[in-house]
This record gives sequence, C-alpha cells and structure tokens, in this order.
Amino acid sequence: MIVALVVVAAVVGLVLVGAVAWREHRHFVDAEESRRRDDELHRRHEDEVAESEARLRLSLDAITQGVVMADDTGNVLYRNSYARQFTEARHGEALVEAAVAELLAEAARGRAVEREVELFGPPRRCMFVSAMPLALEGRDYGSVALIDDITEPQRLDAMRRDFVANISHELRTPMGALSLLAETLAGERDPEVASRLAMRVQAEAIRLSDILDDLLELSRIESDESSERAPIAIQHVISDALSRAKPSAEEKEVPIETVLPALDLVVHADRRQLTSAVFNLLDNAVKYSEAARPVKVTTRLEGDWVEVEVRDQGYGIPLGHQERIFERFYQVDRSRERTDGGVGLGLAIVRHVATNHGGEVRVESTVGEGSAFTLAVPMSEILQPVGARS
Amino acid sequence: MGELRKSFHEELDEIQAGIVRMAALVTEAVPRATEALLESNLELAQQLITGDDQLDDLSVYLEERCHHVLALQAPMASDLRALSSALRLNAELERSGDLAVNIAKATRRIYGTRYDATLRGLLVRMSEEACRLMRLAIDSYVDGNAGLAAALDDIDDQLDGLNRDCVQAVFQAHNDGSIDLQAAVQLCLISRYYERIGDHAVNIGERVVYMVTGWLPEHTGSARLKIREHQHLDETGGGAHEGPEIYLTDETDEETDED
Repeated sequence: MIVALVVVAAVVGLVLVGAVAWREHRHFVDAEESRRRDDELHRRHEDEVAESEARLRLSLDAITQGVVMADDTGNVLYRNSYARQFTEARHGEALVEAAVAELLAEAARGRAVEREVELFGPPRRCMFVSAMPLALEGRDYGSVALIDDITEPQRLDAMRRDFVANISHELRTPMGALSLLAETLAGERDPEVASRLAMRVQAEAIRLSDILDDLLELSRIESDESSERAPIAIQHVISDALSRAKPSAEEKEVPIETVLPALDLVVHADRRQLTSAVFNLLDNAVKYSEAARPVKVTTRLEGDWVEVEVRDQGYGIPLGHQERIFERFYQVDRSRERTDGGVGLGLAIVRHVATNHGGEVRVESTVGEGSAFTLAVPMSEILQPVGARS
Repeated sequence: MGELRKSFHEELDEIQAGIVRMAALVTEAVPRATEALLESNLELAQQLITGDDQLDDLSVYLEERCHHVLALQAPMASDLRALSSALRLNAELERSGDLAVNIAKATRRIYGTRYDATLRGLLVRMSEEACRLMRLAIDSYVDGNAGLAAALDDIDDQLDGLNRDCVQAVFQAHNDGSIDLQAAVQLCLISRYYERIGDHAVNIGERVVYMVTGWLPEHTGSARLKIREHQHLDETGGGAHEGPEIYLTDETDEETDED
C-alpha cells in the first residue's frame, strides 16, 4: 500500500516536474519567437527609414538650390549636391561657404537671416543665402540654410528696368516736342508760321507712331513663335522689303543694288516677319550711309542655308559695340539718333525673326568702311527655276 | 597622441580654409576696384575701403590661430612649414587687399577722369591678369603643387609687360591732353598696384614651393654668400667659418617629414 502510494507520489512528482519543464520550454520558445518577430519588425523599420532617407537625399540632390542642414550648435550635418560645390571652392565661391557658416550660426541662435553674396568672378554671379531655425511644437531641430543662384533673375530684372526706362525716354522726347509745338501753334497768328509748325507737329507724330509700330512689331514677333509658316520664295521677300525701303533710300539718294540667284530659293517662313527683318536691315544700311554710297543686297545659297547679305559703305560699327547692337534700344552713337531717327529696335526685330526661323544674323564691320549684315535661314527642300512659280 | 594629431590636422585644415577665404576676398576686391575706377563709381569704391576691415579682421584672427597652434602643438618639419607658410601667405594676402583699397582710394582722387579705349583696355587686362595670378597661386597652395607655384614667377612677366605698356599709355594720354597731371600720376600708381598684386602672388608661389619642398630661392643667394666667405677666409688664412646653419631644412628634417 505504502509502496503504491510512493509510486503514485513519484509519478505525480514526475508529471509535475515534466509539466514545469515543458512550461519553461514553451516560455523559452515563445520568448525566442517574439524576439525574432521584434528583430524582424526592427529590421523592416530600419529598412523603411533607410529607404525614406535615401529618397529624401536623392530628392534634395535633384533640386537646383543649395540645402545645408545643421544641428542646434551650427555644426553642419548634411549638404545636398548643389551645396557641396561650395565646400571645395577656392576662389570667390569660398565666400558663399563662409556666408553659409555665418548665417547658420546666427540661425542656431533662433533668428532667420539672409544675405546676398555678389561675386565678380569671372563669371559674375549673385547668390542669395538664407538661413532659419527649424523648430516644431517647442522642440529645436537645428537650422537649415538655402543657397539660390539669382544671377539670371537679377539680369532679367535689370533688363526689364532698362526697357521701361528706355521706352519712357523714347516716348517722352517726341511727346515733349509735340506739347511745345502745340503751345506755340495756339498762340501763332501768322498762317505761314502756323503751317510750318503744323508740319513739325505732324513729323513728331509720325516719329512717335513709328516707335510704337516698331514696339508692336517686336512684341508680336517675340510672342509669336509659332506663327503662320508657308513655303515662300526669298525673292518675293526681298522685293517686298525693297519696295518698303525705297522711299527713304530715294530721299537720301542712296542707290540699292540687288544680286538675286538664278533659282527660286524657297524657305519655310512667315512672310510678314521675314520681310520686316530684311526691311530693317535695308533701312539701317540706308540710314547709316552717305548719299551715292550704294547698298548692296546679295541673296545666295550657302549649303542648306539661304543667306541675305546687306552690305553698306557707311560709318561702320566699332568692334566693342558689335556684340550689343542686337539688344533693344542699343545705340552705338546716341548723338546721331536725333538726326537719323532710329530708336534701336530694328536689329532686335531682325534677331528675333532669325531665331524664330531657326536661323541667325551675323555682322561684320569696319569703322569707316561699312558694315555687312547677313541673315541666314534654313532652306526648305523645294528649289525651282525662277518663273515656275507665280 | 592620435587624437591630438587629429585635432592638429583639423586646425591646419581650418587655417587653410581661412587662407582660401582671404584669397577669395582679394580676388573679389580687385575686379570691384577696377569697376569702381573705370565707371567712376564712388559708392563701390567706398564699399571696398570699408570692406577691407573684414580682410584685416580675418588676417588678425588667422595669425592668432597660427600662433596658438605653434605654441600648443610645437609642430615639426612639414607641419611647421605649413604653419609658417600660412603666416606668410596671410601677410601677402592682407597686403594685396590693401593694394585693391589703394586703387579704390585713387579712384576718389581722380573722380571724373575719362579714359581712352587703350588705357581702359590695359587697366582691365591688368586687373584680370592680377586676379588670374592670385587664383593660380591659391590653386598651387591648396593642391600643394610646387611646379605650378614655381611657374608663377614666369607667368608674372606678362603683368610686368602690361605695367610698362600701361605707364606708356598714361604718358601718351597725358601728352594728348586727354588726362591731367594728377590723373596721370595716379594712373601710373594704380598700374603699379596691379603689378604689385601680381608680385604678391609670386611670393605666395615661392612660399608654396618652400612649404612643399623646403627650398626657397633665397637659399641659393645664401649659399653663394657662404661660399664667398669661405673663399675669403681661406685666402686670408683665417679659421674655418663657424656660422650658424642658415637652412631651415636639412636632410634629417626631410626624413622626419612623414611622421
């Protein structure tokens, strides 16, 4: 009996020990399982963070603005690729880096700051550096500095200002003359003098309207890049332009000679624009020539290009000015403007027409010998004998 | 020691960055001075004169920094040469900045002078050439390029030639009556200032050669003098010359270079 009891107790004891061991084992397995799950989760989380950081870095590298991040003491933590070019800079650009460091230190003290760094280069550049503290819900995340290249916007802004100043000046001069002439006319008793004054009023009005026409033409050409194009023989363009230029040429007694090719050179172009360009070249040539010095218009085929060359024997353009004559309102000699009546829009029109047609305009000039302007536009494939087309 | 050396090299890098920044201030000041001069822009001239304080401030800061490192770290061999060269470059650059300021000050004195195309062209070219030399000098410093640094002396010949042409053009313009005597004197000085900036760039080049190789052009002269003294002593029958060693570097120095 006792033996039986002992055996039962032993069995129960064994079972209990077994159960405890088994539970221990289960615990262990469970813990292992959960640790593995945690690890997995952690790894996945880390991957996600790395991926998100890589995405952020690549995006920051893609922008054309410098981004520099710093901790709350102003120590740089990260630079995007645009900003990195300044860290290795040795010359003027080293000053941009210095500005970034100074502004970041300032931003670390909790103040948003900005500065323009003008570099004389060459090349001449203007950089805008700004820095601000990064804080969210009372927590400080350091500071960030941004570097912007504002060279181009500044240049455009200066151009716009110049344009407005120029146009106001150009319009004000004839307006002033008109107002004075009208005032004199009102008090004039002598009909002969009055009629002379009226003629001068008319001349000033024409001058004003010419300026406005040029301006309208230029703005039309500038905005009208995809204008109506049709195949047209360059000969027609030349003859249109010649008939427009003839009155002023005859008045100044400047003969115009033309050399036309034997074949119809056909270009794909806006007839009105192209005529306007050739007319402006002719008009300039006549304007800057003395009487009896002929202006020669040569049209020829150069490779795939149709070239219209307008050569005069006029004053010529000094080398230093040749680069700039295609700018709006640019005048080589301002004192001549009054007598010859140009306001400096003609060549700007020519250049725009050339660019619109995928061509170019060139100038060769020697002071005292004359100038030659060449307008080149691509030829379309059609080439027919003169007279085959109407 | 490793930790200490690291911070020492960090110090050296920061000093180098400071020198680069000073050079940037100089190469930016020179074209500004030229523009102020040619456009008679007094505002820009004044900005330059005031702006030089920044260069002075940086110069003082860098000098103190160099002394600090010299005193605390007692560097040797190439490290010592790098620091002593930085001190010299600092002085050369500071002086170059002063020359740009001199141009700006001269601009005020001859305000309203009209320059003919030749003179204008020469002044612009001198300004560009002086800047080019300074840029090359700094390139050689940052890259440790002794070859480029040594070539600067020859490259400077062009600026010297321009200086002669410019002085000639000033005389010509004065003879023609297009500029008065005051302007002529100032313009000759201005031409000289550009030329001096080029000379400072050449000096920087010489220091870079010294920094990299331990050799200075003056070593040749010094050696010549010693030979002459020896010969003199031999002839007069005096004892051997026991003067101090003038070379700052010798072979043992070179061996400890790569410490």
